[in-house]
Amino acid sequence: MSMPPPVAQDDAQDDTRDEARNEARDANTSAPPAAYRTSVLDSQRALAGSPAAWVNQLRREALEQAHVLSLPTRQDEDWRFTDLSALYRLAFKAASAPAAVVAQAIDPYRIAEAPQRLVFIDGVYAPELSEGPSGEGLTVCSLAQVIAEPSHRLHETVRAHLGTLAPASGGAFAAINTAYLHHGAVLHVARNQAQLTPSHLLFITTREGLASYPRVLVIAEGGSQCHVVEDHVSLHQGAACVNAVTEVHIETNAQVRHARIQRDSRSSFHIARCAVSVARDARYESVSIDLGARLSRLDLSVRQEAPGVHIALDGLALVGNGQLADTHSFIDHAAANGASRQLHKTILSGASHAVFNGRILVRPGAQHTDSAQQSRNLLTSGRARVDAKPQLEIHADDVKCAHGATVGQIDQGELFYLLSRGIAPEAARNLLTYGFAADIINRLGVASLAQRLRQQVLEQTDRAGSPS
Amino acid sequence: MKDPQAMPVLEVRGLRATVGDGVEILKGVDLLVKAGEVHAIMGPNGSGKSTLSKVLAGHPDYTVTAGEVIFRDRELLAMPAEERARAGLFLGFQYPVEIPGVANSQFMRLAYNSVQTARGGEELDPLEFDDLVRERMKYLEMDPAFLERSVNEGFSGGEKKRNEILQMALLDPTVALLDETDSGLDIDALRIVAGGINRLRREDNAVVLVTHYQRLLNYVIPDYVHVFDDGHIVRTGDKFLALELEERGYDWITAPAAANSAQAQAR
Amino acid sequence: MSSTLQDLIDQPYQHGFVTDIESDVVARGLNEDVIRLISAKKNEPDWLLEFRLSAYRHWLTMTAPEWATVDYPPIDFQSIAYYSAPKAKKKLASMDEVDPELLRTFEKLGVPIHEQKALAGVAVDVIFDSVSVTTTYKKRLAEAGVIFCSFSEAVQEHPELIRRYLGTVVASNDNYYAALNSAVFTDGSFCFIPRGVKCPMELSTYFRINTQESGQFERTLIVAEEGAQVSYLEGCTAPQFDTNQLHAAVVELVALERADIKYSTVQNWYAGDANGVGGIYNFVTKRGLCKGDHSRISWTQVETGSAITWKYPSCVLEGDHSVGEFYSVALTNHHQQADTGTKMVHLGRNTRSTIISKGISAGVSSNSYRGLVQIGPKASGARNYSQCDSMLIGDRCAANTFPYLRVMNDSSTVEHEATTSKIGADQLFYFASRGIDNESAVSMIINGFVKDVFTQLPMEFAVEASKLLGLKLEGSVG
Repeated sequence: MSMPPPVAQDDAQDDTRDEARNEARDANTSAPPAAYRTSVLDSQRALAGSPAAWVNQLRREALEQAHVLSLPTRQDEDWRFTDLSALYRLAFKAASAPAAVVAQAIDPYRIAEAPQRLVFIDGVYAPELSEGPSGEGLTVCSLAQVIAEPSHRLHETVRAHLGTLAPASGGAFAAINTAYLHHGAVLHVARNQAQLTPSHLLFITTREGLASYPRVLVIAEGGSQCHVVEDHVSLHQGAACVNAVTEVHIETNAQVRHARIQRDSRSSFHIARCAVSVARDARYESVSIDLGARLSRLDLSVRQEAPGVHIALDGLALVGNGQLADTHSFIDHAAANGASRQLHKTILSGASHAVFNGRILVRPGAQHTDSAQQSRNLLTSGRARVDAKPQLEIHADDVKCAHGATVGQIDQGELFYLLSRGIAPEAARNLLTYGFAADIINRLGVASLAQRLRQQVLEQTDRAGSPS
Repeated sequence: MKDPQAMPVLEVRGLRATVGDGVEILKGVDLLVKAGEVHAIMGPNGSGKSTLSKVLAGHPDYTVTAGEVIFRDRELLAMPAEERARAGLFLGFQYPVEIPGVANSQFMRLAYNSVQTARGGEELDPLEFDDLVRERMKYLEMDPAFLERSVNEGFSGGEKKRNEILQMALLDPTVALLDETDSGLDIDALRIVAGGINRLRREDNAVVLVTHYQRLLNYVIPDYVHVFDDGHIVRTGDKFLALELEERGYDWITAPAAANSAQAQAR
Repeated sequence: MSSTLQDLIDQPYQHGFVTDIESDVVARGLNEDVIRLISAKKNEPDWLLEFRLSAYRHWLTMTAPEWATVDYPPIDFQSIAYYSAPKAKKKLASMDEVDPELLRTFEKLGVPIHEQKALAGVAVDVIFDSVSVTTTYKKRLAEAGVIFCSFSEAVQEHPELIRRYLGTVVASNDNYYAALNSAVFTDGSFCFIPRGVKCPMELSTYFRINTQESGQFERTLIVAEEGAQVSYLEGCTAPQFDTNQLHAAVVELVALERADIKYSTVQNWYAGDANGVGGIYNFVTKRGLCKGDHSRISWTQVETGSAITWKYPSCVLEGDHSVGEFYSVALTNHHQQADTGTKMVHLGRNTRSTIISKGISAGVSSNSYRGLVQIGPKASGARNYSQCDSMLIGDRCAANTFPYLRVMNDSSTVEHEATTSKIGADQLFYFASRGIDNESAVSMIINGFVKDVFTQLPMEFAVEASKLLGLKLEGSVG
């Protein structure tokens, strides 16, 4: 072991007990990531060259990074609690052609409020399933199409922004995603245009064994407004691997609402990076909901570039037996007068594991930053485990920062109140668990989607609650 | 209340002041306050009226560039902020500052004893002080629990303002500058705060109310109403001026044409 | 306002003198021969030499930890003298035999080794460059059955106790600096409170580094048997040198059923000058094991000194219903760096822990809280409450909070809260406008900020700690 993990490193004492057995088991099962790297990059060679030279250049550089950067293991501080060895044992290859999906198959996922929808099947753009004209000042279109047409109105804009917030050098998974750069979604809203209805980006996996590389680029020009719903779903129960990268540029005084729903199959792996840049007086509000995947990881980093920014990050991870949901968020207050609010909730049942690492950095000179972060974790099973690590790093003196974290069960007082009204303990627990989750879901701002997710949570909590 | 023989307690002459980066906020303020009087300074947001009270109390963010202020026959501007407080000038803050970890009672006793010592009075031990402060709290309908909470931390807007008036009651100032004491208060709280102010009025002290709204003046009747705009007083009248402002807004006065005659009337 | 505040907190170091006492120093450098020499000088049994050598061999395979938010050049372990002892005449029977120069040193330090202090009920062990020079009131303690002596003495006189407990809480290969300590420790304190005994007085140890090239590697072991109670205090100072000195201590506490150990520290090692030259590297491993049911271990620390502080006094709550507590004030100024906090490892049922940490940063210092709360799968009904507050003075310092919460049991409750506040112009003006001067205002704010921790200190130390913060805060108002 070259690099001992922080704090616990002088913990021979702790590790001699129950925990030690888990760690030992983890250690025994850890697979060498090298084989995974070879197999996952294998299908990259089959990728046809892009018509745009700059895309080929991006891919080439990313491929180099993908070979150089180490695939994370639990030795890395950022991955201490999330063991990827199960992923590394599997081989996934990218889909070369879209699977045929009938329109009815996506019916359950349609969002009534969203006039625009882009659909991607196993990572490949499916124009026949996509619909909706681009609205006033709003362009929602295929990345591949913009790249293919040098004369496209957004070609140069995309070229200038793509890969700048989430560069391939930022990590092995982002590098792999960028090495496969081809399909994706571009959402662009022009200066001072307000597009308040949501635009739906639907990423579907259809079968196991496939890796997909969703890519989203959002650009909100000065004074504009938009609402994007990034939605990841599965039409199968097998193990697929989704490696997604989203970049969101919010220019001066613009506002972006971003919903991110992950409901992949319970055998899948979902690894996502979302990088956001927020300019002066701009606003970013995000709601991330993780319900699916065997292992999901979201790296969400938001940088306040200039004064007067408001950032709101809300998250919910609902995990059951065998699932792990890991959220790493990073709010970077690099300028003064920024406000950030974050509420992250997890609900665990069965032998599940949730990780929350919430880092807030207040850089020198970022005076009058007002930041509040809460991590709330609800354990409903004796086999579940939570690792919560809020972090405050403050380098300016005139700031107001607070964070809090709680791990616990359902509040006994609340439970008693329901019981005293004649509600059965089981139902009371489910209701309170549901309420805990609904609080976040209700922040989505898309009524039909929220309604459907609440329903799913209700079913999941019912299932978890019933004796198994 | 207007008594031509009354002693002047605060006299501001040609006061000019800039904020940190050199921007001039006060552009020649003249104001005469005599014992027993109530003055109201009104004006639109950003007119500089809050700055006037901060400059008078000695806030370090502002630099006085011209003018003089005589407070009870002393040069006010030569004194550091704590000296001004000890000499009998009180500022009720628009946004009272939160001091985590310091109990309200502890803070107020230290303030009380600092001021008492400077005035040649007796210091009070914690028990004696407790009796005094609890008696004063009754008039403001404050829960004694506030004594043990950290200064202003977690107080509601109304609680903070009541806490300011409580401090005023303890420090017994000659001139109280109350900066937007009424903003953000509901009618009940306004009535209590105004009652607290009225109770403290005497022949030998004075109150300067800095406010954006007229409604406080229904409870604390002013002898003079000054309209503040662009860093100085542009008009002075009596309580009816406040009613007129409530009805017509500020534009008819603050328009440049109206400003000319104002200076003379201010005296 | 910054200059005013900075004046208030800039205080020259009060303990920066060197005592002119002849020392017995082993040549610099570290190898197995040096370890054998230390062991031989101390006339140690073979098993202890073996303990040292195996720790040393393990240490050679380890690398210095890099994860803490502290920054310093690599330490040359071969340039350190690993043994420095005042050249004393044999063994001291009473205070009268102590080198008068040494006594004057302690007088300067205000160390309570005098009779009147003893009447106040404090028994003192004094560690001078890692070697214990005096232990007072042994007799009265012995009557109660309490053993309180230097570690070397304990090795000679109570080898069976040392052998039974040494390294059981902090294994000799636990971490880099603990392994180094296990290899080269020269002395320290040993306390043993037998079953059912409430220690009749506070036990106290003063540590002082005197020699320029020496490191200090002391070892403290406290064992409280079933139902025993003890309150232990340690204080630390060092002279001013412009080179950095290493202090790598290990403290182990063992509490058996219903035992209660309270361990308090006021750490004021030399912090280096205003430009960050010199000062102590304080890399310490402190851990307590609540082995028995209903046992309790409470750490209280006031950390004001050292160029770098790296320490996490911890509790392993193995016994059911056992209780762990950590109360800390860490003040950093100038170029000081502190990465400190605690670990509460809940293993037993219904175990409880409380963490109250207060960090004050000024100058260009960096002050980090790093803590782990771990609830094991069998720790049903476990509860933790943590509060970590930071106060910033000036805009060039940094305050970081890194709490790690690991929960593997669904009937437990873990709560963590952190806030950051400041002493700024607005606060000072608010006080001033009520007639309160800056100095009183700063002192009141700081005292309000730390009071939750200071109330945990034994009375004697609370006064000392207040004075210490006062010294750092006192000064001319600019």
